[in-house]
Amino acid sequence: MNKTVTLWRTVFVNIKIKLHTNYFMATVIIMPKQGQSVESCIVSEFKKKKGDKVSKGDILFAYETDKASFEEESPVDGTVLDVFFGDGDEIPVLQNVMVIGQEGESTAEFNPNGGGGDVRVSEPEPVQPVKEEIAEVKIEDVKSTPQMQASGEKSVGISPRARALADKEAVSLSDVRGTGPKGRIIERDVKAVAESRPKMTPLAKEIAKETGSVPQAGTGLAGKVTGADVISKNPVYSGDFEMKPLTNMRKLIAKAMHASLQNSAQLTHHLSADARRILELRKKVKAAMDKGTGANITLNDMVCFAVIKALKKFPQVNAQLLGDSMKLFNKVHLALAVDTDRGLMVPVVKNADDLSIQGLSNQFKEIANACKKGSIDPDLLAADAASFTVSNLGNYGVEIFTPVINLPQVAILGVNTIVPRPKDLGDGVYGFVPHIGLSLTYDHRALDGGEATRFVKQVAIEIENLDFDI
Amino acid sequence: MPKSQYIDPDKMRQAGEIKFTPIPVNQYKKSVKDELKEKNFTKEDLKRIYHDMVVIREFETMLNLVKTTGGYKGVEYNNPGPAHLSAGQEAAAVGMAYNLTIDDFIFGSHRSHGEILAKGLRAIELLSEDKLTEIMNGFWDGATVKVVEAGFKGSVKDLAKRFLVYGAMAEVFARVTGFNKGLGGSMHAFFTPFGIYPNNAIVGGSGDIAVGAALYKKVNRKPGIVVANIGDASMACGPVWEGLVFAAMDQFKTLWEGDMKGGLPIIINIMNNQYGMGGQTCGETMGYGQAARIGAGVNPEQMHAERVDGYNPLAVIDAYKRKMKVLEEKDGPVLLDVLTYRYSGHSPSDASSYRTKEEVEAWEAHDCIKGFAKQLIDGKVATQEELDQISSEVGDLIFDIFKLAIDEEKSPRMDLKKEPELIGTMMFSNESVDSLSDAKPDVNHPIEENFRVQQIAKKERFAFDKDGKLFSKMKQYQLRDGLFEAIIDRFYKDASLVAYGEENRDWGGAFAVYRGLTEALPYHRLFNSPISEASIVGTAIGYAMCGGRVIPEIMYCDFIGRCGDEIFNQVPKWQAMSGNVIKMPVVVRVSVGSKYGAQHSQDWTSLVAHIPGLKVVFPVTPYDAKGLMNSALQGTDPVIFFESQRIYDIGEQFHEGGVPEGYYEIPMGEPDIKRKGEDITILTIGATLYPALKAADILQEKYGMSAEIIDARSLVPFNYEKVIESVKKTGRILLASDANSRGSFLNEMARNITELAFDYLDAPAVVVGSRNWITPCYELEDAFFPQPDWFLDAIHEKILPLNGHVPTRNFTDGEQIRRAKEGV
Repeated sequence: MNKTVTLWRTVFVNIKIKLHTNYFMATVIIMPKQGQSVESCIVSEFKKKKGDKVSKGDILFAYETDKASFEEESPVDGTVLDVFFGDGDEIPVLQNVMVIGQEGESTAEFNPNGGGGDVRVSEPEPVQPVKEEIAEVKIEDVKSTPQMQASGEKSVGISPRARALADKEAVSLSDVRGTGPKGRIIERDVKAVAESRPKMTPLAKEIAKETGSVPQAGTGLAGKVTGADVISKNPVYSGDFEMKPLTNMRKLIAKAMHASLQNSAQLTHHLSADARRILELRKKVKAAMDKGTGANITLNDMVCFAVIKALKKFPQVNAQLLGDSMKLFNKVHLALAVDTDRGLMVPVVKNADDLSIQGLSNQFKEIANACKKGSIDPDLLAADAASFTVSNLGNYGVEIFTPVINLPQVAILGVNTIVPRPKDLGDGVYGFVPHIGLSLTYDHRALDGGEATRFVKQVAIEIENLDFDI
Repeated sequence: MPKSQYIDPDKMRQAGEIKFTPIPVNQYKKSVKDELKEKNFTKEDLKRIYHDMVVIREFETMLNLVKTTGGYKGVEYNNPGPAHLSAGQEAAAVGMAYNLTIDDFIFGSHRSHGEILAKGLRAIELLSEDKLTEIMNGFWDGATVKVVEAGFKGSVKDLAKRFLVYGAMAEVFARVTGFNKGLGGSMHAFFTPFGIYPNNAIVGGSGDIAVGAALYKKVNRKPGIVVANIGDASMACGPVWEGLVFAAMDQFKTLWEGDMKGGLPIIINIMNNQYGMGGQTCGETMGYGQAARIGAGVNPEQMHAERVDGYNPLAVIDAYKRKMKVLEEKDGPVLLDVLTYRYSGHSPSDASSYRTKEEVEAWEAHDCIKGFAKQLIDGKVATQEELDQISSEVGDLIFDIFKLAIDEEKSPRMDLKKEPELIGTMMFSNESVDSLSDAKPDVNHPIEENFRVQQIAKKERFAFDKDGKLFSKMKQYQLRDGLFEAIIDRFYKDASLVAYGEENRDWGGAFAVYRGLTEALPYHRLFNSPISEASIVGTAIGYAMCGGRVIPEIMYCDFIGRCGDEIFNQVPKWQAMSGNVIKMPVVVRVSVGSKYGAQHSQDWTSLVAHIPGLKVVFPVTPYDAKGLMNSALQGTDPVIFFESQRIYDIGEQFHEGGVPEGYYEIPMGEPDIKRKGEDITILTIGATLYPALKAADILQEKYGMSAEIIDARSLVPFNYEKVIESVKKTGRILLASDANSRGSFLNEMARNITELAFDYLDAPAVVVGSRNWITPCYELEDAFFPQPDWFLDAIHEKILPLNGHVPTRNFTDGEQIRRAKEGV
């Protein structure tokens, strides 16, 4: 199951809960939405029929899209009170499929066939609804001729029933003229708008609720508006994209990053360090590992180890800015940006200055894995848990970048890829020497350029003089 | 109006004069020595009289100290509830109770602690130890006796004494172990197993209720008499007079037949302490001089009234001995004016600013206990030491019980935190009982021989013929027939059932519901009452309290005002206030009139629906009338049964197959859909159903709207589910009845519906009632009661504009505000 499905599962559950609390005790099983563009699914087999006892987790029915097969499990214990479709039926997504509850409970209100709505997409219907017969003309007088009454009346309110119907039918209330007493928008007004536009699939309604847009005509059977019709009104893009709501995680990142740039005075200094020392160390590490000894100390571990040493010398960088005061840490709590499927995570290693480089390396591996698995302790992700952050894009070949500070920390070090740079080797001899790029973004509210420069220089010095037992 | 009694103008117009016989005043002259000589008492009897008086004195003294000093004998306690004390009146109470057995019932007032204790002590004296044990253990499953039993080693009689004092005291302190679970309190405490029936916090409240108890004893052939202990101040209360007149009805002696012939076994016992609150009843607020005079105005027997010296227990005992003989001879009712005096004020908060210290001290010098003690010593019945011993033992008893009764653990209050709905569960008894009597019902002939029953058998039980045409009114089984069938059925099932009111016999009820019952029933089961609604309903309460079923009828519901206390304060309260000891199977028939103007045409359902403890129904079809009357008569709760005079002759237009011949019940509280519809719900109470149906026809024909018509049938209880279901469907609701709209119960329903179905509403719930005016004459009624076009006007203006509709009534917002501003 891919991420999109997970996302829509969430929406689906929400819908179920809403129905549950509002209308009934029984549980309605709807056709889940599998994938953004799926309008309907075909039930390959109903595993339970009306009257069957089911337990939570039992398979109720199997269904398929044009791409995959799925099984729907019962979310509750109970009895199947009603099944509205048969094997092989094509059912619009989000449509009620069956009802599970206690014997004796009414199910009629959930029957999608009973509400006069169109249900089986496999059965095309005429464009003109047949129910508008001449015999009912008088009733139509009352029910759906709002324009006749509406002249000059300004809408002053909306009846709760009209509001509920507008929500259900995805009718934008700004399009509705009220014909009730004193211009109140009443049910018939919303009905009139809903009936004057093309019929919509349940998915189209759901999307229209979010976007508030309804096209003049649909591309579905008998001109029915489908989800795709609602998503885009721009003929250039047509259906060539899918709308994907942000995950909670994405929303959090968006908020934090945007806030960072809005609320602080950030600038970045770039500087590079001679990487020959650490490359040599890395070579030794690999050689030792080939012999089966020593730990896999990466270049990143080494840079971070060097950063910790530098931070010990620059306490004003190992800090957070909180309003009118600086929070200077005694220990180094080093956060490391980790790229995961879920998005960017920045877990912290507490008291990193107490660790040997092997210890630091182990801790990094541990928290990075926890982030990737999603099992990370949320406390370790909090921005105020760290005193400094390192973001390493060197692996990806990034030569220079401007990392964004994780407020309230006062600085972040971006680590770039290693590139050979010409260097004066002495005596007028120049050679290409590998250099690792360092990009320090700092909050000018907390630090001045000189301090920042001296700090990042210190990091370079530590890198160039790094030593440890392999 | 029995034809058997010819009113002869020659006789009636003859000259003459009314003669009164002298009314004895304080004629008792004997001393303790005389009584001992005549062997009317043993020395033990006399000492017990003294003892019982001392118990009352100490009980009241304790309460007075608690109220005025915040404690008793050094133990602090705060009693926020009422305490109307009777210190000074002990001889009157003990003298009253001395000759009574547990078959004799006493009813009391707000100042009746003394009477409870006196009657209770007397009952304990008379009952066997086994019987006492059975009563105590059976009461609240022994919860009350358990408190006083713990660690007590004395005799069963002494335990019973503790039980009595404790049960009363715990009730005064609102403890769940009290006689009425603490729900009655000081002014309503009672204990029926000892023949102590409800005391009443409304002055004179027992004046009519006790008469109903006497009626119960008579009609159901139960042994014993009834004593109504009411104060001198209640002698001006209308309901007390109504009770007296009801008790003295000639018909008991002239028209009632066989063993039923004769007066009611009741003594109206005026505990005359000479004050009503701060008013002197003699010399200031009334004019009878001596209350005993009142009897002479009631009947030729002058109610056998006399004034008795209530400061001498022997004088009261003597009077009771003689008066009980009168009752035995079926020559009641009796009225006694028992002169006494209260030392405390009306209540402890009363500073007695209306009387002098000298007056109180003078009465204290005459004190009934001191005076009797002197007689006992003089008559060598007891020594001072023996009497002191009695006082000391009683003091210990009251103190001991006091400590138990204020103990929060042993004597807890009802736990409404743990059981927040407990009182709610006690408001109604909700029982279903075929008959409240084991006896064979007294009837004049088999039911099938009744002419009305035979007549109804020939009627059409559904209003329409096969082709949907209405049968003629005469052929239709009418609403009044439905009521009749339910009522006669119960008369033949339940020997305890009686019905009375104005024009109930001979005439057959002003609206002919009872036609045929006169032939079927002897006088004592169906009779005409005086036109005095307080006595009609008040006696019904006493009748029901004793265990009988009763249908009081007061014709127009406009007359509810004439029995306001009975309907608002008595009928609804007693089931819960008694701790569910009492049931109240009273079905009060009232009708909503028309044509008769402002005082005979009001729908007062809202007034009674407002009062907790009443069930209120208003059927308007023969099927519903019979089914709901059956339910009302099968139940054990008070029901105010509304009928509409407009439609007594209406046939059954809704229930398919017509009104069933057999017995069936319609549960109270269930509304009924009279017509299905889709576009609007119309909920009606009462006969407004019929104009609502007409309005629905117009809506359908002219505007294509189909209305769902729901007849509420009941107001209390009421199940909203069906209505909410309908509103969910239609999205609109209009409520209508003949009650004037301000404060109408429809507003309560509209509020509930709005809350329960808010999200489904397409417009506010709209109420259409009568105007907030007097009801005008019949010819102008169309301007007052809701008419079919009013429904359309209200819908058009407030719910859904009707295309082309031209309103004739003003339902605009501006008019609504104007009317409220004007108060009309």
